Amino acid sequence: MRKLGWHQWLLLSLLLVALLVTALFGVRAVRRALYWRNHKDEVIKPWMPVPYVAHSYGVPPYVLYQAINLQPIPHDRRPLREIARQQNRPVETLIAELQTAIVHSRPPYPPPPPPPPPDGGASP
Amino acid sequence: MSDYLLSTLGVYGLPVLFVILLVGCIGVPMPASLLLLAAGSFVEQGELSLWPTLLLSAGGAIIGDNIGYALGRWGGRRVSKRLGNLIGGEERLKSAERWLNHWGGAGIFLSRWLFTPLGPVINLTSGLTGYSWPRFLCYDIAGEVLWVVLYVSLGRAFSSSVQAMSEVVGDFTWAIIGLLFVAILGWKFVQYFRSPDAEEEKPKTSGSLVDETP
Repeated sequence: MRKLGWHQWLLLSLLLVALLVTALFGVRAVRRALYWRNHKDEVIKPWMPVPYVAHSYGVPPYVLYQAINLQPIPHDRRPLREIARQQNRPVETLIAELQTAIVHSRPPYPPPPPPPPPDGGASP
Repeated sequence: MSDYLLSTLGVYGLPVLFVILLVGCIGVPMPASLLLLAAGSFVEQGELSLWPTLLLSAGGAIIGDNIGYALGRWGGRRVSKRLGNLIGGEERLKSAERWLNHWGGAGIFLSRWLFTPLGPVINLTSGLTGYSWPRFLCYDIAGEVLWVVLYVSLGRAFSSSVQAMSEVVGDFTWAIIGLLFVAILGWKFVQYFRSPDAEEEKPKTSGSLVDETP
């Protein structure tokens, strides 16, 4: 058998590092995919707009808007971070309120009431 | 950082997608995949239109790639070397260069959508090694269009969990890149035992920092 020079040892160590990296990321990808399959819910992040959170959790958007004291806006793409800035409070509080509203709109609790009429309160 | 950039997608819409993909393809670390998935989800929810999303994303990515190519080709050896170091050092640059010489178009095409983190390095080395620009452009367009369509479609299909999706896809991409390096290094190693005169053929694989351009 041929003797290994330092180039070959370097190659071999690089190969082992590559194997290790592949295994680590492969295992993590599989674990994340499995976890994701069992826990469908997405962690709420400051970049998400309210309609995205509603879509993600299968909750009617008006329920979430109500929870954070806002009127629903049709094509609202404002991220939570922006809403929190407008309301002058930390985004974490806003996220916590959304999470509470989501929990309270799900099975152990009664289903949310029907949405308020679209022109509610806007009298001519 | 990634969260902040994603917020700007909501506020400013498609121009953000264009700029971030362009800058990301030049080599500045950007959450491009997550952004594309999020854009796909917004398309699914009716917040963004499909065709402008696809066109602007692919356009930004292709222009960014070509800026990278131009930097490698006309930016001069010193600038390119500095950029190479920024991206991952001489060894990574050299390995990408060897890979490119060996695999040519397939390397460019695959690094657009499968081995995406290698894209910027391949752009630079394609320019640096004088790879034909029309051929680079053809493979680039094909690969980037596939990448954009693939990720936006994934974002649409899993529109309610793009954050989780992007984490899985990200890990998967790095696992595939790891596998690619395992294959290349393993093959080099096997080759050493099979070749009769191994002594003088190997200096390049070791990552010497000396410039050995012919």
